[in-house]
Amino acid sequence: MATPHQEDERQKILNSPPVGTWALMLIVGAGMVLAWLFLYYGVFLPRGAVH
Amino acid sequence: MHIDPLEKKWLYVVFGMVGLFLGAIFLSALISGIHPPSNVETIDSARLHLSKEFAEDNLGVKIQPDGTIRVTMVAGRYGFFPRHITLPADTPITFRWASIDVLHGVHMPMTNMSTMVVPGYVAEVSTEFPKPGDYPMLCNEYCGTGHDFMWSKVTVVDKQTWERQHPTTKGGES
Repeated sequence: MATPHQEDERQKILNSPPVGTWALMLIVGAGMVLAWLFLYYGVFLPRGAVH
Repeated sequence: MHIDPLEKKWLYVVFGMVGLFLGAIFLSALISGIHPPSNVETIDSARLHLSKEFAEDNLGVKIQPDGTIRVTMVAGRYGFFPRHITLPADTPITFRWASIDVLHGVHMPMTNMSTMVVPGYVAEVSTEFPKPGDYPMLCNEYCGTGHDFMWSKVTVVDKQTWERQHPTTKGGES
């Protein structure tokens, strides 16, 4: 059974902003964008346009 | 419909990324004139040897009067003919292929050159090769038991070397 102290801690965590998720969102999003931009502008386009 | 605020943020990120990617593709396609090869031209595959363009003596690399290059090749089980061609770097090149038998695919690894060669049609692709070097030209459509061995070689030389080797690059044949 949770003590009052543990309950306070739990409420504090539940009510605080999800900083870890935002950090993960930023890292994953920025990583994917950078990887895509590298493959498109750094690998695909320099190999010569096709038409 | 209720969507959790955090999930909404993930959706914004996803839509933002997709919008960015599509915008980049659309803009560069518009600026550089990039589009999928879409030549529709029919030819009798059984009579290629009698055609003007794809007869054996007319295959290979030809320099056009405007300095661009036209490459005419035939795909057939199990090879691309001619088996070895030399091309200049940084020069507009138009490839034209016809199949003598079944469906083939042409792919040059480490370049953007890739197309299908459908029997009865002439496949045409225009591109440039920025980097000199030796490139394999492989079949990437299963065409029979010898498919694994269906390849040719393309040598891309730098423009100065090409012009030294072909002093009359304005018109004439390679």
